[in-house]
Amino acid sequence: MVARELRRSVRSVKGIIIGILTLLGAFVASLVCVWLEGNDRDTAKIASTEAYIEIKKAAIEKATGDPAFAAYAASIPTSLLVFLKITVWLGPLLIALLGFDLMSSELQHRSVRFWTVRTRRWSYFTGKMLGLWAIVSLITLVLNVIAGTVAASRGYVTVGQLMTWGVRFWLVAVIISGTWAAIATFISSCFRTPILSLLTTFVAFFVMWMGSLIGFFVRARDMMETGVQKDMAWYEYLYPNTYDTLLLSPETTKVLTALGVLIGFIILANAAGAALFQRRDI
Amino acid sequence: MTAEESTAKVEEKKQEELAEEVATEEGMKESPAEKKEALGQAEIPASPYAGDTTGEKKKKKKKDVETAVHLRKLTKRFGPKTAVDEVTLSIAMGSVYGLIGPNGAGKTTTFSMMAGYLHPSEGSVEILGFKPSAVDELRSRVGVLPQDALLPANDRVGEFLVHMARLQDYPAEKAEGMARQALADVEGKEWWTQRCGSLSHGMAKRVALAQAFLGEPDVVLLDEPTAGLDPRVAYEMRQLIKAKRGRCTIIISSHNLQELEEICDAAAILDRGRVVASGAMNELTAANEEVRVKVAAGTKRGSQPGQVPIAKLQELGMVRSVDFDDEAREIIVSFERSKADAETVIGHVLWILLHAQVRISGVSKGRGLEQRVMDLT
Repeated sequence: MVARELRRSVRSVKGIIIGILTLLGAFVASLVCVWLEGNDRDTAKIASTEAYIEIKKAAIEKATGDPAFAAYAASIPTSLLVFLKITVWLGPLLIALLGFDLMSSELQHRSVRFWTVRTRRWSYFTGKMLGLWAIVSLITLVLNVIAGTVAASRGYVTVGQLMTWGVRFWLVAVIISGTWAAIATFISSCFRTPILSLLTTFVAFFVMWMGSLIGFFVRARDMMETGVQKDMAWYEYLYPNTYDTLLLSPETTKVLTALGVLIGFIILANAAGAALFQRRDI
Repeated sequence: MTAEESTAKVEEKKQEELAEEVATEEGMKESPAEKKEALGQAEIPASPYAGDTTGEKKKKKKKDVETAVHLRKLTKRFGPKTAVDEVTLSIAMGSVYGLIGPNGAGKTTTFSMMAGYLHPSEGSVEILGFKPSAVDELRSRVGVLPQDALLPANDRVGEFLVHMARLQDYPAEKAEGMARQALADVEGKEWWTQRCGSLSHGMAKRVALAQAFLGEPDVVLLDEPTAGLDPRVAYEMRQLIKAKRGRCTIIISSHNLQELEEICDAAAILDRGRVVASGAMNELTAANEEVRVKVAAGTKRGSQPGQVPIAKLQELGMVRSVDFDDEAREIIVSFERSKADAETVIGHVLWILLHAQVRISGVSKGRGLEQRVMDLT
């Protein structure tokens, strides 16, 4: 089912158009990221990467008072980090566009009926979700390769950094996109009309993003008023992208917690979607 | 319940399951010829899948059943509307069974519940002794041609059929051969590399039929198999279905009455969600107790040459009643089926009519399914 979904995405006009646009967008975004880092280096009048890392380390240590964390954070390639943030932020849009008709169009055209006499419904549902996750992971890999190549061509990252930080950034994007994919599949399975599925997916994703944004501004205001950094509100944790910082943390506990929560999201959305799909008429 | 009682119950259940498995194994040792004999079927041509030794298929939990499909008080409501109302039916293994009725009679809804697409509001469905949702038990044993399901447009025909075969637990090396055979059966060999989205309606229907018969299932459900097809393709589809007779139980939902009368052994007539008649086709059409003779225009009843001698016909020993419909120009002869068969009655009736110099336009057994449905719905 996963292989079939990959084939389906690659062959469909929608998949090809989204793929081309995403790759072009990734190339432009990579150039922007590299330009931002270049600009930063120019401002600090630094030529070598080592010197740039030292400057970053000093600045972070001054802000946090934690030399270990400063050394860790300074080693993160800036352009790749900015690119990760862009990828993670725009990921839900890509997933919504690729996944809105994943189930809804098959329910609308009743193609699903060829499958349900041969395979358990939860298996069909999970296969669909994994198929979407796989295609998004592949696209994200290509995007990371583009961004890494552009950054390496400017000498901002080394091959070693690409193999460590590059791979880690990709894995962070993959795990977060899995959560979005599970939610998108769940929403898609609730509708027979793809356009309704698309609108609902957009609304759901937007509401989650707005929750995170509101939480951020509330905390920023409190910080300005009281000077104390408050904890995140509960609704901010419902936004999967919130966990990207935790996944990049040097503390294993934080990484594992974020990983556990995101996997929990995936399992929950998948189980709820599969259970509803099992009970519905098709 | 105490722990001991609970353990005893579990043990008892295990024993029952074991006994069932042993019975299944023994049932599977029965040769195909013996099975056919048991079903009273004629010898049929060898299946293209004969010799299939797919382990998965043999391991499946099977029940020895004589009834292919059993519906008990099956009801489906959509909001306040009752689409299917307490339908009870039993369809024997090996038969070709029709679901007949006008639009909105509940045929497709009943069919969809049999295929597991819709959940019944009340009542139950059993296919080969299992609920339609028991996919693991029914996989590869039930094939379905849904009426209006579109084939996945981006898949190539070959890929689609191989994928379906793989889902039926056939290994990759076997699946392709089976898919090619199924496509050849519907005379579509050359479509193997075509995208499903580029097929014409008739071609797509045939591919859908190929997937329904893929792997020689025990029960095949066909919903409007010839709807929307031109007469030639519809004829070819009927021939295909006829060729599968005797190899499996076929259930056809259709409102093409001539087609059903031609193909089916038995049928149920549905109207407004209820079964208004069901039984063997010759019982439904009264083919074994009624003969109809159509006469030329202007023919009247009487004893003169060229007129219908009602009295003489009534004198025949096996005849129960004779009626002449002036408007339809049809003589309806009802007879005791215990005394003679339809062919004997036709011989006697025609003999009398020809001697009376009545000009005959046509002869038929029974009132025809169409007339029967018109009477009932």
